[in-house]
Amino acid sequence: MIGARSIAEPTIKDTIVHRTDPRAKILILISTAFVAVTLDNPETMLLLFLTILSGFALARMPAIKLKTLAFLLILLIWGTIYSQALFYSQLPRTVIFTIIQPDFPVLGWLTNGGLFVYEEGLHHGAIQGLRSASILSLGLLICWTTDSRDMLNGLVGLRVPYSVAFMLVTAVRFLPIIITEVATVITVQRLRGFNPKRFGSGIIKTSLNILTPTLSNCVRRTGTLAVSIQSRAFRANPSRTYLKKLKFSELDKVMVTACIFAAISIVIIKLLYNMYTSGIYYTSGLRPVYAIARGYL
Amino acid sequence: MKNIVFFFLVLVLAIQPAAAQVKEEFEPEDMTTFMIQVPHGVEGSGLAVGGSNLSAYVFFESYYYGNMNVTMELDLPESFILQDTPVHSFSLQTEYEDWYRFVDFYVPVDLPPGIYNITATAVVEVEGNEHTIVRRTRLKVASKEEIADEIEVSGLIIPSDEDGYGDPSHPSNSLVIRETSPALKKLLKVTDLRIDREELTSTFIGVELTNKGDSTVPVIITYEILDIKTREPVKAFKPAIMGMNADTLCYATLTLTPGSSSLVSIPLYISEGAMRGEYLLRVKVKLTGSDWAAVTKDQKITAISRKWGPIIITLVSSLLGLTAVSFFFSRSKEIMDKFKTRNLVLIALFGTVSFAAINLPMTILWELSHALFGPFSFLFTGLFYEILLYMLIASLVVLIPKPGVVSLFMMVRFLLGGFITGSFTPITFITLSLSAVLLEVMMYAAGITGKNPDPENRFMMGVVCGIADMTSGYASFSVWMVLYRLFYSDWYIMANILIDGFLYTFIGAWFGISLGNRLKKVAE
Repeated sequence: MIGARSIAEPTIKDTIVHRTDPRAKILILISTAFVAVTLDNPETMLLLFLTILSGFALARMPAIKLKTLAFLLILLIWGTIYSQALFYSQLPRTVIFTIIQPDFPVLGWLTNGGLFVYEEGLHHGAIQGLRSASILSLGLLICWTTDSRDMLNGLVGLRVPYSVAFMLVTAVRFLPIIITEVATVITVQRLRGFNPKRFGSGIIKTSLNILTPTLSNCVRRTGTLAVSIQSRAFRANPSRTYLKKLKFSELDKVMVTACIFAAISIVIIKLLYNMYTSGIYYTSGLRPVYAIARGYL
Repeated sequence: MKNIVFFFLVLVLAIQPAAAQVKEEFEPEDMTTFMIQVPHGVEGSGLAVGGSNLSAYVFFESYYYGNMNVTMELDLPESFILQDTPVHSFSLQTEYEDWYRFVDFYVPVDLPPGIYNITATAVVEVEGNEHTIVRRTRLKVASKEEIADEIEVSGLIIPSDEDGYGDPSHPSNSLVIRETSPALKKLLKVTDLRIDREELTSTFIGVELTNKGDSTVPVIITYEILDIKTREPVKAFKPAIMGMNADTLCYATLTLTPGSSSLVSIPLYISEGAMRGEYLLRVKVKLTGSDWAAVTKDQKITAISRKWGPIIITLVSSLLGLTAVSFFFSRSKEIMDKFKTRNLVLIALFGTVSFAAINLPMTILWELSHALFGPFSFLFTGLFYEILLYMLIASLVVLIPKPGVVSLFMMVRFLLGGFITGSFTPITFITLSLSAVLLEVMMYAAGITGKNPDPENRFMMGVVCGIADMTSGYASFSVWMVLYRLFYSDWYIMANILIDGFLYTFIGAWFGISLGNRLKKVAE
């Protein structure tokens, strides 16, 4: 069974992926997100996805993480396939299954003429699912190969205000405690006869019964924690020193430069191509650029 | 003296026309134009196929100043079936008066291929004298295979201009089926509309035809846009125009001389109901008078849909999110200094609870419910994403009714999600930042946060959160459609933003006030 622990906790090893500077990882993730939403060519999208997956092999991820990844990817891609099979709205489209008949009372009218599963939508969903799959995979790879403290240092290194980074540290540190508390409260509620899975007003009632004690503990903890932090001179000085200094290696610099350059180039090429197809801007000198966008991106 | 001059002037004027009439003698070839075209429009030898209904065009014009009676007889080969009388008589009274007729005839299907002579004879009677003028032409009746070899569609240009020429600034083999709003059209000049009706878009198809044979060929060019899979015509591309079937407008006629190439354009009308996708453009070339398509050319075309609404919403949402983040980064010290340390800790812990109670279970449940329940999964996921989330937000605002509290909470959620589940996605960034901005602005405007805050007004809190979530929900769908190229039906979006966006959020915010009041007692 895939638990919260297998999703949340990083696996620390000494591989090239683990050694990469957290700032470099964040910048690579942002660049990849731009590339993923820009691409339209299925082959290039698949290539990007496979390239990201190869990172898991480089990072020598344990089997449980790979199973978690596979499980999440299957759900994600299937969810996209399913939704697109239903909502696909371009031609040609072939109905392979009818969920709601157009003349079905109320629902037929509500769905504006029935609900069908389209064959071409399945294909479209599979291709478009690669986009989300690429971003999710890279996000998980980074999370699973980076210690949360290093990640926070990376964020501060990227000029995220210290107070925000501090809030994040607090949130990350208290996450296991709060997960345990939520689980304990649910167990107690069950023992008292509540059913947390009951649909409708039951779930609201259960939520209130779970949230009230959990959040009450948080409120109580807040006072103690605030005093403790302030006594350690939190926000007393405008600048801070850090025990661990982050340093970009040469490889990090090359990777970050290559990724940012590739992302900017791809975004600009696609932007120019979309301006051309929309009739907004065209110049004959950019024909090779249009050809690259049409053929490969 | 004056009388003598006047007398001579009258004499000259009276005598001159009579003298001219006497002088002019009738020259049939010089004083008439007699012409025959078979079929109509073809000068020289025509071409036909068996089974054609054709018209021979006979034209007679007089340049003679006087009466003439003409008897015109058209002599067709016996095997042709004449559908009109072959003999016509008429009178022409003055110079430049003319006469013409279309004489219909039928070329039988089983007529052997060959060259057939057609003769038109005009007997002109002028002042009792008869003159005969003869015109001859030839009609080549060819087999279907022969004609199909002679005519070729050498180019299909779509979209094209009114003359059929392609425009390199538009992608070839593509159609733009949905344009932007009229105001934006004017602003960006992105349209190629050529008609005034807003529900119809039009462009042109350029068709280049080559006649490789030695006969002049009159042709009619038509087209159909077919479903690429079923090969059925798509009605959205042949809408009724001014009450008429589009077929009555969407054709072109052309007379191809031997060894020539010509380019014609055919208008193409697209109705609003047209969907984007791949289609098959089928151009048919028929010989005039025949329903048989001599040449058929298919070309795959792509219909491009420009949904400017979602594009603009995505752009505005992204800009709003980036502006909000830039504003926060530029004034982070002032903003953060407004919060006590215990406020920051509380916001962080609420962020953790929301992550533990919503994000973490929903990482799997969201996908699982989508996979299982399909379009109706929002009824289930909304319980977590809307009710639970807004319970937390409303209770947090009750505890810390300050501007900026929701933004910090959202920021913690976003960063935590990115750190733990890798969800540093553009969608998450845009939707969360938009949601934060809307909630902040609306809560401040409604007096929930600010100098004299009133966070315990359940109805106000519910309405504010509901409207903010509906707006951010709608923007979120636009972002999914634009950045992830996904499709969503209008009914689905509507149901989602009404049930999830408003109803669930309202319920969550309503109960969030109760939760906040309970927590307040704990804090006190």
